[in-house]
Amino acid sequence: MEKHSIDVIVNGDDYTLEVPARRLLADFLRDDLGLTGTKRGCETGICGACTVSVDGKAVKSCIMLAIQARDKQVLTIEGLSDRDGKLHPLQQSFIERGGLQCGFCTPGFIMTAYVFLAQVPSPREEDIRAALTGNLCRCTGYVGIVESILAAAEKMSGS
Amino acid sequence: MTENGKTPSPSLIGASVPQVTARAKVTGAAQYVADMKMAGMLHAKILRSPYPHARIVGIDTSRARVVKGVRLVVTGEDVPERRWGVIKKDQHILARDKVRFVGQEVAAVVAIDENTAIDALELIHVEYEQLPAVFDPASALEPGAPEIHDGTGNLAWEVRIDRGDVEAGFKRAAAVYEATYDMPYQYPGYMEPMGTIAAPDGSGRLTIWAPVQSIFSARARLCDALDLSPSKIRVIQTVTGGGFGGKVTEDSNTVIAGFLALKARRPVRLINNRLEDFLSAHSSVPARVWLKMGLAKDGEILAKESSIIADNGAYTGLATSVTYVTAMRTDSMHRLQNVRTHARLAYTNKIPSGAFRGMGLQQMAFPLNSHIAMLAEMIGMDPVDVHLRNAIRTGETSVHGWHMGSVGLSECLIRARDGIGWKDKYQRRQSQGARRRGVGIGAAIHVSGNRARDDWEGASVIVRVNEDGRIVLITGESDIGQGSQTVLSQICAHELGIPIDHVTVAAPDTDSAPFSIGSISSRVTTVAGNAAIRASRLAREKLLAVVSQKLEVASADLVIEDGFIHVVGARDHGMSIADAARHHIFRSGGEGIYAHATFDAPSVVPDKNFYGNVSTAYSFAATAVEVEVDTQTGQVRIVDSLAVDDCGKALNPLAVHGQTNGATAQGIAWALYEKLEFQDGQLINGNFADYTLPTADSLPHLRSGIVESNDPNGPYGAKGASETAVAPPAGAIANAIYDAIGIRFNTLPIKPEDVLKALQNQGASGKSNA
Repeated sequence: MEKHSIDVIVNGDDYTLEVPARRLLADFLRDDLGLTGTKRGCETGICGACTVSVDGKAVKSCIMLAIQARDKQVLTIEGLSDRDGKLHPLQQSFIERGGLQCGFCTPGFIMTAYVFLAQVPSPREEDIRAALTGNLCRCTGYVGIVESILAAAEKMSGS
Repeated sequence: MTENGKTPSPSLIGASVPQVTARAKVTGAAQYVADMKMAGMLHAKILRSPYPHARIVGIDTSRARVVKGVRLVVTGEDVPERRWGVIKKDQHILARDKVRFVGQEVAAVVAIDENTAIDALELIHVEYEQLPAVFDPASALEPGAPEIHDGTGNLAWEVRIDRGDVEAGFKRAAAVYEATYDMPYQYPGYMEPMGTIAAPDGSGRLTIWAPVQSIFSARARLCDALDLSPSKIRVIQTVTGGGFGGKVTEDSNTVIAGFLALKARRPVRLINNRLEDFLSAHSSVPARVWLKMGLAKDGEILAKESSIIADNGAYTGLATSVTYVTAMRTDSMHRLQNVRTHARLAYTNKIPSGAFRGMGLQQMAFPLNSHIAMLAEMIGMDPVDVHLRNAIRTGETSVHGWHMGSVGLSECLIRARDGIGWKDKYQRRQSQGARRRGVGIGAAIHVSGNRARDDWEGASVIVRVNEDGRIVLITGESDIGQGSQTVLSQICAHELGIPIDHVTVAAPDTDSAPFSIGSISSRVTTVAGNAAIRASRLAREKLLAVVSQKLEVASADLVIEDGFIHVVGARDHGMSIADAARHHIFRSGGEGIYAHATFDAPSVVPDKNFYGNVSTAYSFAATAVEVEVDTQTGQVRIVDSLAVDDCGKALNPLAVHGQTNGATAQGIAWALYEKLEFQDGQLINGNFADYTLPTADSLPHLRSGIVESNDPNGPYGAKGASETAVAPPAGAIANAIYDAIGIRFNTLPIKPEDVLKALQNQGASGKSNA
């Protein structure tokens, strides 16, 4: 299989890697870079567990090729807390407000919310619910997730 | 401050403590099985049957075997000839001779990577001779139906229960109502697809890493399927991305991976893709329930009779136990005397069904709650009053011999009713516009542990005090996302008077954990919680004994505060837990503080007539909903939902609300959205685009309430809180739709097209009647 060289910045780190044309971004992150916080839940771009930020847009990394991320900035859940391990307000809220149970969908929800709050810093509950339609959670009934995002938005716009 | 040397600070019990696993989960650090790698690890993929019922004439694997990178190809000829199964010995690891459902595992390839294995699968040629198939369980039980397993007549299991005098009850009744209800397969839909890493250790032992709900029952399945003794297998539970029953009797992925690893003599990873998970997970048991009930004029339920035909699919998981629950569990919610049921479980050429959150409870709760609404209308009573009139009470024993140590059912009903605004909304049918609103209610009972098969329904916990004063809590009881590690940590920290982050719960491991039953039937908080109290108190006694000896004071005069053991009233006279633990090691020949305690539920195995107190305690829930029916589109929208759960003492309200909301969402989804669809036995919606889990915008802000009817058998009064709330929504929603538009739906899910069609029929008959 033909390989392509790509330059990509992931969580602030520069990478130059050879990847096969068919390598998905999700597999590139998980298998080549060892960033397994990005999950694969359905392989069809529905469940959203693989959501990452690519140049500030929320992307389902299971339906994007790694070579499409060439020269772009990718942010995954591992890159959200700072280098000293200080958590992002979204991560802190998800912990405190019951935004997670099994945790498998959590990185995807947090990344979707991260991109969303950059665009809509003070959302109403219905805005958040509409923004989450590309992510599935089976544990929470979404109550804790929506409350976590509302609380984080408040904290972030207040600081 | 303190009394009788008991530890103060009740703050952790009843506190909304975040999950102890939460930080790992929000940072992406939590390692699920698909995130793990091992040196030399190979990857497996499965070839599945394209036919619902066929004889395997021959399999040619020669072309697959020579693909570069392929290390092993196996078929049914390679697996043990002996059949295995948890309840019934009716399956092989890979199909031998015959396939019985579309998706059944026929062959497997092990290769250096997943893509190579997938490519090689396509080169395996299987010759099949198709056989007549049967998909409907009622048809399967008719004479002359194609027989799926020889000599069974397609009957997998059957039960009859008859108590009191049903005929006399119906004779006395002021109103009798009967109807038939149809309920589909619901896929568990945990977000983490099932997966396993299996590794042989070179000396004939096999280690399995997998997200299972019970490590010891997983080990038992592996022993049975692979024909190995328990000591040859070690099962370690990985961080588990949801289970909902589907990872209780998982009998395909783990077993096949274990088999392949032994054959390949290398670590093998087998991860389901989502379609494979739809095909191999046990979805809930589809059931057709005929129900007849009679009510006295004052609302007393005088008789209940039911006939159940349940769909086992092609092989038996736990559908037998599920059908048993459907047949009898809801009966104990009310003060019934006359009940009769006949339940049959039929083999069909479809995917195997089995355990799913609620365990068959909802398959009777939906009919029952619908029935109560109809009968209430017939006698001119409020359905909530009918429930209240019949609700079982604390101290009573139910028709099936269940002893009620605590009952908060009436309070659940009243709070759900009042919270939804029932008095202003029920039977109003105010709007005759395009969108019509109505309210409905449903209730349910559940167990906290279920002593069904073995004369032991206990749990054990080991509390180990490290030399830094921190605790490792060892148990085989599994956290599948519901938060049991958090609750056990709370209990341990509370009893020892230490911060919760001084407790770590070890990953369940059959080599080191005491024997355990696992996360089934809402038992962990209640049963393992009691064991955790005992083990923590024992560790505390041992710590105090060390300090007592060292300081020459009586243990009774010592307390533990913030990790420091000291004489009552003299904070500086004592020593830290860390020092005590170290001291113990060096004064006791290297023996650390290691406290092992067990708790067995005060329940009994029901007798041969299924009579007896099966559980430690019983939980209750009532859910009231308000719906809006769009008569132009047939769409039903949940406007408001309030689920009130009687879980006894809520040890962690944050976790309890999370469980109640999640269960309610699943119940709503079963009522309105989810159903496995088949065409000639072929699953046609095995993906999340066509099988629609509810999204955040399809649900309202679910509300949940807690009733604390503290149970004498529960730890600090706690009962199970994970499952009860899954059962009431379907009946509540059907009742609310009836309240809105006057049409009764008995088939789930209630889809917009069905609502529209019914509205059209209603309009047509309305005109002809006029």
